[in-house]
Amino acid sequence: MEIEARPKMIGARVQRVEDPRMLTGHGRFIDDINLPRTLHIAFCRSDHGHARIAAIDSAEAAGMPGVAAVVTAADIEGLLQTVRATSTMANFHGTELPVLAMDKVRHVGEPIAAVLAESRYLAEDAAERIAVTYEALPTVIDPAAAAEPDAPLLHEEIGSNVLIERTFERGEVDAAMAAAPVRVGGHFRMHRKTPVAMENRGYLADYDQGRGSLTLHSTTQVPGIVRDTLVRMLDLPGNRLRVVAPDVGGGFGGKTALYREEVLVCVLARKFGRPVKWLSDRLEDLISTSQAFDEVVEAELACDDEGQILGLRADVIGDVGAYSGYPWSAAIEPVQVVSFLPGPYRVENYRGRVRGVATSKSPMGAYRGVGRPISTFVMERLIDMAAVKLSLDPLEMRRRNMVRAEEFPYKSASGIVWDRAGFLECLETACDGADYGALRRQQAAARQQGRWVGIGLASYVELTGLGSRIAVAPGMPVNTGTESATVRIDSTGAVTAYFGIASHGQGLETTLAQIVAEELGARLQDIEVLHGDSDAVAHGTGTYASRSAVLAGGAAIVSARAVREQVMKAASHLLEADAGDMDAANGEIFVKGTDRRLSFRELARAVYTEVNRLPRELREDIELEASNIYDPYFGTATPATHLAVVEVDPETFGVTVQRYVVADDCGRIINPLIADGQVHGGVAQGIGAALLEEVVYDDTGQILTASLMDYVVPTAVEIPAMEVFHLETELPNNIGGFRGLGEGGTIGAPAAIANAIADAVGHLNIDINELPMTPERLFRLVSQKEE
Amino acid sequence: MKPAAFEYLAPVSLAEAVAALGRDDAKILAGGQSLVPMLNFRLRAPSLLVDIGRIPGLDYIEDDRAGGLRIGAMTRHHTVETSDLLRQRFPVLHAAMQYVAHLAIRNKGTIGGSLCHGDPAAELPGLMLLLDARLKTTQRTIAAEDFYEGALDTALAEDEILTEILLPPLPAGTGWGFEEFARRSGDFALTAVGATVGEEARIVAIGAHETPLRLRAAEALFPDIEAAAEAAREEVSPNDDLHGSADYRRHLVSVLTRHALMSAREGAAS
Ligand SMILES: Cc1cc2nc3c(=O)[nH]c(=O)nc-3n(C[C@H](O)[C@H](O)[C@H](O)COP(=O)(O)OP(=O)(O)OC[C@H]3O[C@@H](n4cnc5c(N)ncnc54)[C@H](O)[C@@H]3O)c2cc1C
Repeated sequence: MEIEARPKMIGARVQRVEDPRMLTGHGRFIDDINLPRTLHIAFCRSDHGHARIAAIDSAEAAGMPGVAAVVTAADIEGLLQTVRATSTMANFHGTELPVLAMDKVRHVGEPIAAVLAESRYLAEDAAERIAVTYEALPTVIDPAAAAEPDAPLLHEEIGSNVLIERTFERGEVDAAMAAAPVRVGGHFRMHRKTPVAMENRGYLADYDQGRGSLTLHSTTQVPGIVRDTLVRMLDLPGNRLRVVAPDVGGGFGGKTALYREEVLVCVLARKFGRPVKWLSDRLEDLISTSQAFDEVVEAELACDDEGQILGLRADVIGDVGAYSGYPWSAAIEPVQVVSFLPGPYRVENYRGRVRGVATSKSPMGAYRGVGRPISTFVMERLIDMAAVKLSLDPLEMRRRNMVRAEEFPYKSASGIVWDRAGFLECLETACDGADYGALRRQQAAARQQGRWVGIGLASYVELTGLGSRIAVAPGMPVNTGTESATVRIDSTGAVTAYFGIASHGQGLETTLAQIVAEELGARLQDIEVLHGDSDAVAHGTGTYASRSAVLAGGAAIVSARAVREQVMKAASHLLEADAGDMDAANGEIFVKGTDRRLSFRELARAVYTEVNRLPRELREDIELEASNIYDPYFGTATPATHLAVVEVDPETFGVTVQRYVVADDCGRIINPLIADGQVHGGVAQGIGAALLEEVVYDDTGQILTASLMDYVVPTAVEIPAMEVFHLETELPNNIGGFRGLGEGGTIGAPAAIANAIADAVGHLNIDINELPMTPERLFRLVSQKEE
Repeated sequence: MKPAAFEYLAPVSLAEAVAALGRDDAKILAGGQSLVPMLNFRLRAPSLLVDIGRIPGLDYIEDDRAGGLRIGAMTRHHTVETSDLLRQRFPVLHAAMQYVAHLAIRNKGTIGGSLCHGDPAAELPGLMLLLDARLKTTQRTIAAEDFYEGALDTALAEDEILTEILLPPLPAGTGWGFEEFARRSGDFALTAVGATVGEEARIVAIGAHETPLRLRAAEALFPDIEAAAEAAREEVSPNDDLHGSADYRRHLVSVLTRHALMSAREGAAS
């Protein structure tokens, strides 16, 4: 009965505890950290896509006012060990990622020399005066051409631009396709994107010469990985190297790589004995932060006359840019495309071949959704194309092929095992929520008036909260399958929870505090969540891959339960009651059915300060602190269906998104406000990918989208209000029952919008196989049809 | 993206400002919404900025007592956008202002700055052509039609300051239309078309040519709107750029001309 009275923290619509700080301008970001005697870096970056560096003349720059030094690769030789991303995948070739370009540059924007000056202004003045003599080499821009044997090589030592090649295969796909009565297919193209976090990347390194220790303040999403790697690169012990991610203004995967600038500030802070800061401006961000989604896919789907899928075949070329980034490597995105292509469907015969190809572009890295926005776009287009051919409703086509409840665990065609999750339930919930039948009637009425209105569905399933069984980067010395939490009650009764994750917009200070509060019976305001600091826990990697709620949340539960046991042990003595008769809620421990109670503060005082309240043996036995790791072992499956309604203007070819409905299965919800927010933000980025955003390189390797006038992200005006439904399918083998939901919005939206546009222009029989579908592209497609 | 070093001067009279501009390589600073980004990209590196924002008497919208308006060059976009007088007299200008940038930028940017910057995809220069404005400077008065010489290029001399925009009255019963297409709200126009219809039609295309352009051949074909829209397509010489090809922009000019003329004709009739 008292149990009922206990307020539930997990699942509560709690306002984010971060908000007052962020919204009143009291956040503390890299650029808010000002250390005396800091030197500021401006880079001289390559303006060639591929060239040999014949000479660097920095004499004039070095003599400019306020300039402390100009540094090139030669000046830092011997000051650090290099690292390269490796992989246990066959046919994988790692590349060196030089901190400063050595003998050649492989993309525009590659850093060649760093000016250290008293201010960023003076550093930029000097950087302009560095003269680099280049011997131009042929650029490789088109990834298909780059994969050809006679293409100019970016990394001669590898002997090919193909950095990774892999094939997933199941069944007899060629025979199945040949015999199938219905086949659809096409050439699909998703263009390059970049995450565009609100805060650009930035790094500030502070070397303490007295102690021989280094602190790096970094916008990183992965302070643990950065610390562990820098320890090797800089040959410092881990207890003398601290990586702190303070408040960070978004990352979306773009801050999960170890960056050259990040390493360089550390090397230079140690070399010069002064703090060294580099803060990316937007121009640098657009040309040097990792880019993504650049994939070319030939794909074909076969089914029988009833729409049952018989086979799926795909050949994928991923444009991975000039280098294999650390630690995820050039494999991360392209391999995901083929491993997730079969989607939430029964596909018995499958072959997906992928090549990741180096080009003269900024390196590819993780971006929200990683590969799955493309695989979902392709598969969901194929499903709709087949439905059209069979005159079947797209909803019905999906119903017939989606893995059904009784089929779990289902091993996908690429070998992923899907545990029970609400695949079909999401499909039905989204369609019910949108009133699909009514939408189709409204669409028919609009068509009568000559309006081009379309409805698009997109279903997918993703792996989130990966445990140790499935590595994010196979073969890297990085364990992505566990996270740690330390929960501690101090002598004032305040609770601090330490994590290895690094919240940078996800609201984890709130959700993790909710979990700890619920498990301990403490109040939310009693809990301080510390994260984004490599000193917080012995091991942690960070926040990426939709993992923090699942892994850090799981670790929080384990540690909080351990502390609660200790609390109860002490309380049992103090309240003279059996642990079984007690409970804790609202910051108090109480004996059920009585008015005997004790606050956390009183309990802490009794344990730590008032030494006569507990017998010595008990005091020595009680530890109001616990550190645990959590390993979900397998990942959690997060399925969803998105439904978009768009209208295409038949004259201007502008596309407006009129309605947007999402139904996902994110397991047990920690905070519905935050769950909705994650979906809203992800969908917004997916709409950008579908309609607006595209990094453009010209044939010579010049990047044409180097400002936000030209790289166009959606604004609030372009994003519709969304209707979001969450299913909470139970996860028996997972301690918290949470599924990851950070990336799903971006995975579903491009496909849903592509399908909606295809539906809107269905009467013209136009394939929508390229994203972003800009007005210019639609104009061309329609004009070609009319000719 | 830090500008090169420059000196800064904030004169309190036009005479002082003109004198300061005599110096080589000086640049006028108004709202800074176009100039400052160019400085940050180091596309321009003037040695002196002459801020005309402290000069009194350049920020006003006044009745010229003949049915037209006089607008001071330093009048902010937001003031123009929210002026009742302007909305009554020149509703087409009021309508076009809704498409200029975002509120934060409209709070700083000035009508004079926009006109002197001369972006061919900006709304205000095109509207000046449409409304047959006269632009008064520290040296002379120039017809809007003679003001634009190329993309980001005007008839102004280095030390010449635009001080006032004179909008002559629109004849009673003039109908108007303004149509714009941009990829996002607040962006520069991919293409826009403004039209007025009274005794005769006047049509201006924005974002489809080196400069804002009067579509005289199309005007001559009015009231045959379809023919005018077809002719409009051929009158402009747009460039290909990242956001749209020349072909697409020609198409848009035609579509938007038809819509602008239809609205204008309807307005004129009522
Ligand atoms: C993100 C963004 C979006 C925008 N979108 C749009 C849009 O959709 N449509 C649009 O029209 N504009 C847009 N703008 C530009 C905006 O309207 C600017 O305010 C305007 O172009 C310049 O006005 P300003 O007062 O800021 O001039 P400044 O930037 O100060 O000056 C611009 C130029 O004019 C010169 N100048 C200024 N005043 C005078 C004068 N009185 N006499 C002589 N020369 C002078 C300056 O020397 C400079 O060369 C946008 C700007 C931004 C940053």
